[in-house]
Amino acid sequence: MKRVLLLAGQVILAGIFIYAGYAKLREPWIQFAVSLNSFRLLPAGALEPLAKFMPWSELALGIAILSGVMLRWSALVASLLLTLFFAVLIRSYAIGLQVDCGCFGAGEADLGPLRLAEEAAMLALAAAVTIGAFRRRSAGREPVPADAADRDAGLTHPA
Amino acid sequence: MRTLLLLLPSLTLLGQTAHKPAVANFKETGSASAPITLELYTDYQCPSCRAFYMDVLPTVISKYVATGKVRLIHRDFPLPQHSYTRTATKYANAAGQLGLYDIVAAQIFRTQPDWEQNGNVDGDVAKVVPPGEMQKIRDLVKNDPHLDDTVTADLALGNQDRVGETPTLVIVRKGGQRQKIGGMVPLNVLESYLDQLLAKG
Repeated sequence: MKRVLLLAGQVILAGIFIYAGYAKLREPWIQFAVSLNSFRLLPAGALEPLAKFMPWSELALGIAILSGVMLRWSALVASLLLTLFFAVLIRSYAIGLQVDCGCFGAGEADLGPLRLAEEAAMLALAAAVTIGAFRRRSAGREPVPADAADRDAGLTHPA
Repeated sequence: MRTLLLLLPSLTLLGQTAHKPAVANFKETGSASAPITLELYTDYQCPSCRAFYMDVLPTVISKYVATGKVRLIHRDFPLPQHSYTRTATKYANAAGQLGLYDIVAAQIFRTQPDWEQNGNVDGDVAKVVPPGEMQKIRDLVKNDPHLDDTVTADLALGNQDRVGETPTLVIVRKGGQRQKIGGMVPLNVLESYLDQLLAKG
């Protein structure tokens, strides 16, 4: 059951990142640069490189999560990224900035409680997948009890 | 006789309404054959539009419009939540009919923090327009029933372009491909993007 939940979370998280990257890439990069600028955090010189780089990195991260290769680390990176995005959105909301976050392309609803709740849900999902992936890994590394190993191999112990 | 013939058009004009537009395309600047057209949707009471107008537009005009690379079209997109933007738009467009659009639009944006407090656009415009011309602008604002026609047309175009905020730039390329960019575009970003589009041809 836990494996199924982890797999479902992995697929959903991957889908979120792949869609976020795709939605930005189908628009001209200038639109995402404008969205980034609306947060008033980045220097003007950083807008273009970040607007061009970030959609591809989101796409790559989504594919990495979907593939399951090094899932612990890709899920951890996703969690850290979403933590950063969430913090930025909270800050923008707190100081009353009117931002179009551009997270899934231009023209999203204004930043408000609903948008923050969505972001929090994504962060919770990423955290759950990360924890699940690390637990699965550590469970796989636990030494198998000798009895169980022998039983699986069809051996018996002397009484 | 020849003089009379030459004067005839002027006499005909005098017989018409005094509010006949003097400059039909006062919202357009630059070469019609420019490879890129920028359609700029703004609201006179929007702070980001003011920032765009004051910080970005002068360089765009000198670097791209004046050199024939870009044609600029200003489109009015007054937002309903702004109490005095319609008044400001009327003054700008009335000034446009007298050939004073650039100076008055610039003054309206520059003095936005003043008139948005009390709606006294007139007072701020009067500071940069000679008294005689100012009276003509007032007459147009009060009496010209067609003063808002271009605004209505701009709003219709904006709705077609699904403009949802101001400023919004619509970048139109030679083939007619339209790209809508909503929000305040920083100068360096816009320069870089325009340079890339121009390099592509």
